Amino acid sequence: MPVLVACFKWVVDEAYIRRTSAGELDLSSVSYKISDYDRNALEEAARMKEASGGSVLAVTVGVPESTKGVKDALSRGADQAFFIADPSFGMLGASETAAILAEVIRTRIGNFDLVLCGEGSSDLYNQQVGIRLAERLGIPCLSFVQKLELEEGRVVAERRLEDGIERVSAPLPAVVTVLPDINIPRIPGVKDTLSASRKPVVTIGKDDLAVAPDAHFRTISLAASRLDRQCERFGADETDIRRFIGALRQKGVLR
Amino acid sequence: MAGIWIFAEKTEQALELLQAGQLLLAAGMGGELIAVTWPGGPRPEDLGAAGAAEVLLLPPLADHQPLESYGPSILEEARKVQPNLLLFSSTARGKDLASRIAEGLNAGLCSGCNALHWNSESGTLEMERLLYGGAAVQRIAPFTFPVLATVPPGTFRRGTGNPDREATIRHLPAPPVSPVSVLEHKPKERKGQDVMAAKIVVCAGRGFEKPEDLAFARNLADTLGGALACTRPLSEEMHWLPEDLCIGLSGIQVKPDLYIGIGVSGQVQHLTGIRGAKIVCAINRDEQAPIFAAADLGIVGDLYAVLPRLLQALNETAAP
Ligand SMILES: Cc1cc2nc3c(=O)[nH]c(=O)nc-3n(C[C@H](O)[C@H](O)[C@H](O)COP(=O)(O)OP(=O)(O)OC[C@H]3O[C@@H](n4cnc5c(N)ncnc54)[C@H](O)[C@@H]3O)c2cc1C
Ligand SMILES: Nc1ncnc2c1ncn2[C@@H]1O[C@H](COP(=O)(O)O)[C@@H](O)[C@H]1O
Repeated sequence: MPVLVACFKWVVDEAYIRRTSAGELDLSSVSYKISDYDRNALEEAARMKEASGGSVLAVTVGVPESTKGVKDALSRGADQAFFIADPSFGMLGASETAAILAEVIRTRIGNFDLVLCGEGSSDLYNQQVGIRLAERLGIPCLSFVQKLELEEGRVVAERRLEDGIERVSAPLPAVVTVLPDINIPRIPGVKDTLSASRKPVVTIGKDDLAVAPDAHFRTISLAASRLDRQCERFGADETDIRRFIGALRQKGVLR
Repeated sequence: MAGIWIFAEKTEQALELLQAGQLLLAAGMGGELIAVTWPGGPRPEDLGAAGAAEVLLLPPLADHQPLESYGPSILEEARKVQPNLLLFSSTARGKDLASRIAEGLNAGLCSGCNALHWNSESGTLEMERLLYGGAAVQRIAPFTFPVLATVPPGTFRRGTGNPDREATIRHLPAPPVSPVSVLEHKPKERKGQDVMAAKIVVCAGRGFEKPEDLAFARNLADTLGGALACTRPLSEEMHWLPEDLCIGLSGIQVKPDLYIGIGVSGQVQHLTGIRGAKIVCAINRDEQAPIFAAADLGIVGDLYAVLPRLLQALNETAAP
């Protein structure tokens, strides 16, 4: 029965990010969410378990305030969570996150079959952690996967690449990074949320870790993107549509 | 100083990276430009003409081995030579290889890098990327070299090249056999025009109810002499259009004179791909849709009512 590990991140919901008049990032009214594609990773793990038994372990590295995310992940079908928390884990680089995940997966879980990651995190979108994690663990990685199956000690996956679809197979244990169209993540119901609070959570602090990875980059600046557009509005009636076409011609973008 | 390495799946991507590398060297970063390729990859003569002083040529892969199997060979050589910077074109395989090699070198990798600047005074490499789906721009500098970057195709201009220039070729050893095997490759049919080169881009979003209805958008694109593109849900969730037509953070970045988004909400990840458009237009029935704040001209209305009227008015008023 497969042991499935799903890695998820609790992130700022970017839709609520504003720009101050000084051009700074305004995070004052943001809410948080499980990184979009990590919901697909959790869902895929839950479906595999539902199909073939086994267990789903959800793992996250984050700040101590991410407890809501841990509960959210448990309400999506995971049996147990590993929550590696420290106030300094808010803006880790991809290599640091991978190093921490690798240590916890190796030392606390040990016997696992498949690690599922999202294709990229919604906030950093480094698209690195899953692949780096596999390198650290010394196991194969199948990235950008849109379809996944377990077969007799192997994982068979469809990777989506620029020039077509590549069907690949690798021995377990392995890491996969999943694309959003691999499944449609469930929306947890009240029952799921209730049962989530009874599931075990292993909390791991920075001092419990042997690795202390260093950052590779320093930030020189971080600013909100600018959007300088004219924001002229038109209605949908014929007169307005003619005015709209006129405006485009005047701007010289239409013949 | 041991120079800059580049790796790309396609020749045009390699030319872009070589040009970016040349600018950095000219700015004083030092070292030589070196391209890594393999039989079936960009041709050594093209890489040489575009400025590579040396080409590291990998041997052919054994049957059923994915391109990423080259990772250990490239890593071994990079460990020995210690280049300052390794640039990868950010295709799926490029991103995968870059991550593996970065991990092997214990080096930083700037993903989706869209600007590179060598600050000769402080000796720092300044790299720019987007955060939060494009809502923020971050400038970073590596603490140590080597450092890696993946560069979205189309970020930098291609160099002109000089056919008289020739690179010296050095052969790299074959990689060990990868545990991953390719069972099947289903190539994608390439069709349609190049959205990245189009002057006018008509982009369909989830506001379209059925795939047949995309005919309206296609019609508009044809009438305007433009290309049809889409948002990620249309290519990736519904599979109504091929993925290479998806505009945005995880798709392509376009810089047309005119972009018209139809039934597109304007989430930041999508807007990231149209930053370079001269004029942005939107058609959406929800006046609160974020795309209106990111558009020069917006029509608030139902696309099923607006598009027929727009097409008719365009045909009536077409310049002779
Ligand atoms: C890491 C990451 C990367 C991503 N990368 C990309 C990317 O590269 N490209 C991309 O596009 N997305 C990307 N996304 C997804 C992005 O966040 C949005 O989900 C997506 O862009 C929304 O697509 P949409 O506007 O077509 O759909 P929706 O958000 O569903 O919007 C549909 C719009 O149509 C309007 N509408 C509905 N019916 C009508 C009608 N009859 N007439 C007129 N208007 C109508 C609605 O008002 C709505 O505004 C990414 C997300 C993540 C997390
Ligand atoms: N802090 C984290 N905790 C757990 N998993 C993570 C974390 N950061 C990234 N991941 C996983 O790695 C994937 C890729 O992240 P990234 O490299 O940041 O784009 C995500 O989709 C997650 O599955």
